[in-house]
Amino acid sequence: MKLDPKIPAGPLETKWDRHRFSEKLVSPNNKRRITVIVVGTGLAGASAASTLGQLGYQVECFCFQDSPRRAHSIAAQGGINAAKNYQDDGDSVARLFYDTIKGGDFRSREANVYRLAQVSAQIIDQCVALGVPFAREYGGQLANRSFGGVQVSRTFYCRGQTGQQLLLGAYSALCWQIERGQVTMHPRTEMLDLIVIDGQARGIVVRDLVTGRVSIQTAHAVVLATGGYSNVYYLSTNASGSNVTATYRTWKQGAVFANPCFMQIHPTAIPPGDEHQAKLTLMSESLRNDGRLWVPKMAVDHRPPGDIPAEERDYFLERRYPRFGNLAPRDIASRAVKTVCDEGHGVGPGGQGVYLDFADVIERQGQDVVHERYGNLFDMYNRITGEDAYRVPMRIYPAPHYTMGGLWVDYNLMSTIPGLFVIGEANFADHGANRLGASSLMQGLADGYFILPYTIGHYLATAKLLPVGEDHKESRAALQRVTGRISRLLNAKGRRTAASFHREVGKFLWDHCGMSRNKAGLELALRSIPALREEFWRNVVVPGSGEAFNQELEYAGRVADYLEFAELLCHDALHREESCGAHFREEHQTTDGEPMRDDTCFAHVAAWEYREHAVPILHKEPLAFEFVQPTTRSYQ
Amino acid sequence: MNFTLKIWRQKSPDEKGRFVTYEAHDVGSGMSFLEMLDGVNQGLIAKDEEPVAFEQDCREGICGSCSLVINGIPHGPDRGMSTCQLYMRRFPDGAVITIEPWRARAFPIIKDLVVDRRALDRVMQAGGYVSVNTGGAVDGNVLLIEKDQAETAMDAASCIGCGACVAACKNASAMLFVAAKVSHLALLPQGKPERTRRVKAMLDAMDREGFGSCGNQYECEAVCPKRISVRFIATLNREYLRAGVVESGLPAEPESPHAESA
Amino acid sequence: MARPSHHFQSAVGRKVVMALSGLGLVLYVIFHMLGNLQVFEGSHALNGYAAMLRDMPILLWTARIGLLSLAALHIVLAIQLTLRNRRARPVAYAVREYRQASFASRTMVVSGLILLLFILFHLLHLTAGVIDPSSADRLDTEGHRDVYGKIVHAFQNPFIVACYLTGQLGLGLHLNHAVTSSLQTLGLERAAFNRLIKAAGPTVALLVVLGNVAIILAIFLGIVRG
Repeated sequence: MKLDPKIPAGPLETKWDRHRFSEKLVSPNNKRRITVIVVGTGLAGASAASTLGQLGYQVECFCFQDSPRRAHSIAAQGGINAAKNYQDDGDSVARLFYDTIKGGDFRSREANVYRLAQVSAQIIDQCVALGVPFAREYGGQLANRSFGGVQVSRTFYCRGQTGQQLLLGAYSALCWQIERGQVTMHPRTEMLDLIVIDGQARGIVVRDLVTGRVSIQTAHAVVLATGGYSNVYYLSTNASGSNVTATYRTWKQGAVFANPCFMQIHPTAIPPGDEHQAKLTLMSESLRNDGRLWVPKMAVDHRPPGDIPAEERDYFLERRYPRFGNLAPRDIASRAVKTVCDEGHGVGPGGQGVYLDFADVIERQGQDVVHERYGNLFDMYNRITGEDAYRVPMRIYPAPHYTMGGLWVDYNLMSTIPGLFVIGEANFADHGANRLGASSLMQGLADGYFILPYTIGHYLATAKLLPVGEDHKESRAALQRVTGRISRLLNAKGRRTAASFHREVGKFLWDHCGMSRNKAGLELALRSIPALREEFWRNVVVPGSGEAFNQELEYAGRVADYLEFAELLCHDALHREESCGAHFREEHQTTDGEPMRDDTCFAHVAAWEYREHAVPILHKEPLAFEFVQPTTRSYQ
Repeated sequence: MNFTLKIWRQKSPDEKGRFVTYEAHDVGSGMSFLEMLDGVNQGLIAKDEEPVAFEQDCREGICGSCSLVINGIPHGPDRGMSTCQLYMRRFPDGAVITIEPWRARAFPIIKDLVVDRRALDRVMQAGGYVSVNTGGAVDGNVLLIEKDQAETAMDAASCIGCGACVAACKNASAMLFVAAKVSHLALLPQGKPERTRRVKAMLDAMDREGFGSCGNQYECEAVCPKRISVRFIATLNREYLRAGVVESGLPAEPESPHAESA
Repeated sequence: MARPSHHFQSAVGRKVVMALSGLGLVLYVIFHMLGNLQVFEGSHALNGYAAMLRDMPILLWTARIGLLSLAALHIVLAIQLTLRNRRARPVAYAVREYRQASFASRTMVVSGLILLLFILFHLLHLTAGVIDPSSADRLDTEGHRDVYGKIVHAFQNPFIVACYLTGQLGLGLHLNHAVTSSLQTLGLERAAFNRLIKAAGPTVALLVVLGNVAIILAIFLGIVRG
């Protein structure tokens, strides 16, 4: 297989414009005879479905939640970046492009990232037109803040609920198209397989989660907007429903998966309590503006924090990164936390946690100022832990948060299966090896509102698409795969719950393929996961029937996919013999523990092709840097 | 800690439901209410019994999935939060806790504690949007919006669509939900052109779905996880009255811009 | 294009009509109470006031018919909305706890029914003279009908006083929620007036009930005599 990213030639600034002009269009009369499936209704899915509906296509839109408005984009807090330069502080498309490429540690495509920066400004205008209540200045203009360690203020926000407001904007556009009859919405319907006919994606197999009915939906093209896979780690900041099933089962039908090991860990989550814990709650990154991270200098120190004198505290971020201190980027801060905890300095249950201390700022500026800035976060912390962070330091610990990896797509956002488009977090996209804060919302909406609707048109206008139906043998075969798998799950009748397997594989991945990885650990994981998977199919218990509402059956199916996908993740982490962005290989670090990137051997996208009962095949898409020069990210 | 749970079990929409009593043992005080339920369910699954169906997703109070009436109050005893943000230390050891689903004709039960809330989506589809096409929007700063106005719009827009307002209302009315959307868009210049049509269409849809009428008791506000104010219901009423006045003007039958048959 | 009448057939539309009719009745109740307070000024004042009203039959009957239609409209809409609201929750909660809903707001149907029964009683008693015919219309020294004497006679009877006090309880409860609620239904809402609007119901209820009860008790306790 040859991976052709189909990047248009010519200067960076005009690639997208020229490409759009060269694309073929579908005539208005033909559009209504074309059906497009959109799976997922987060920022990418909802914006794509509504825009395709508006253009005149017949859209069949699916989500597993009870309403499209509940997709996990809703939980994004911080904001959305856009190169508007409203603050006149030197921002520009070129600077947003450069920040994103550099933030991604030079593992993303220049052309894609440049296009992302170009359309970013349009996103804000579109959202304002839809009625998104962005924060405003007293003069009535849009407000900005700086976010994620960049030097300009380019982040637009709606309090701490930006994701919610952007998603509700896209959802409202979707509602309009549903009302107009252009989009048919199928909530509580989960995609379980892809139908490929004559090498083209022509439909999906879905299960109605209320009645349990498994059915076939055919179309002229399929768009996946099914989000990321952080939940493979069991504990993550993602919603519990977020899963890898749609992208993973698509991978098994021939789409290649790119950079699966690039997974972002967010440094400031509330540490896990006990084994019953089902989710890690994110505390806004903004806390690091005023809080100081520290651990006791003495290992396994059980004294209460107040009894530990200043000279026995290690303010490890300030010590290691004096220039950025507590504001070091996410990947750097997360790893530093892990290092001190691994050395036995961690605090709280299981030694998994470090202090985030506000005593200094409270003493300097008073409790009222801190309350005004972070009151809601302190309340949230108090609710979850029962501790008062005004008096005792908070405890935080990193948590899986976002996955930069995903299905491989070309410049047109089309996967290696013609007619299968992948957008938002589900594709491997534009963030390289590490994503900057407030950039995921930007990418989801860029893909859905402004990029996919153009590129899919060209495909639909040029591809030869014969009529296909539910009775096609490939459709039947896909249906068989799904029903066979469901009955296998229901008939295992073992003794262990799906959750216990999920917890086990998650813990294993966290230990061996988490914030830092090494060859021995990854090889151990690759040896152990198949055994766990084998036990799963032998010993899992799923009560109830397949022909009814059965949440445990849904969950068990997702866990089964995690148990396979975990292996792919480890293969990728093992192959990448360098440290870059969120991927840290212990073998590749400087003497001070800083990551060492290898641009000679690894300036490529690692794209994996599925092989039945065999190690996946690695394809490499070389990354050429014509416009920027890769440099070392240093924050010391 | 140990708790006695009286949970509503109902196999399907048509079957009769009943309360079943479960014991939750060794519950950590740091556990969330949903984690406590997870624990009960893990015990049931291990015995190959069907777990209690309930809804949850983000577990941080923003997706609006959770929908439990706990001891007679939607989302439980704490104010301004959803069920997923409720922790067991809030209950005395040994407490008996009754858990019921949202109850309303417009929210038929699917199974156990899971209800069908698509009625709210249909109300939104009737008019909860600004009809603008993608592309061609003017620069975001062309529309100047007073800061206070934007903040108030944001207060209304923060609705998570969980339906607790309906569950708490004596009349199972969705007024607070509709009020939040109508007010959000009526407060912003972007929403002005369609305000007359919107408020009528959304309230008609609310009636069609079988929600009750507002009794101005304000239980909705008291259980709203986002503390959305009932003042927005007054705004909604005002918008509706205004629509009645505006509508009685000269009739106009605009041609649909999306007529496909042209 | 819908007719305006259609606009008031929705749940909110009906609520608006209920609020307006209710407020009309509240205005009447206030004037009724103020007029009757003249009982404290003696028979001359009250009987003169009654005679003045009777001297304008067109106004009197317009007011009577108007009030009856307002009340009928209010009651019909109340029944319609209540039935609709019952249907909106076919299965009740096993456990129910209120947080904010006042006692008055939760008993509007009961207080409304008490009020309706009381009004019927009141009309039969003092307007039609059916309940206590012994106090049939007599004339006072000035040749006016002796309304004053009739009232004083009536409120010396403990049974009638009990009925009237119950009626006042119903009226007070109803108004307590009704006035503020109708202002909300009519869309009155400004941060600056919020407390005023909130206080409107209890204040009106308190004043009207105090005024009416003062008349009843003053006679019953012999402070005002025949």
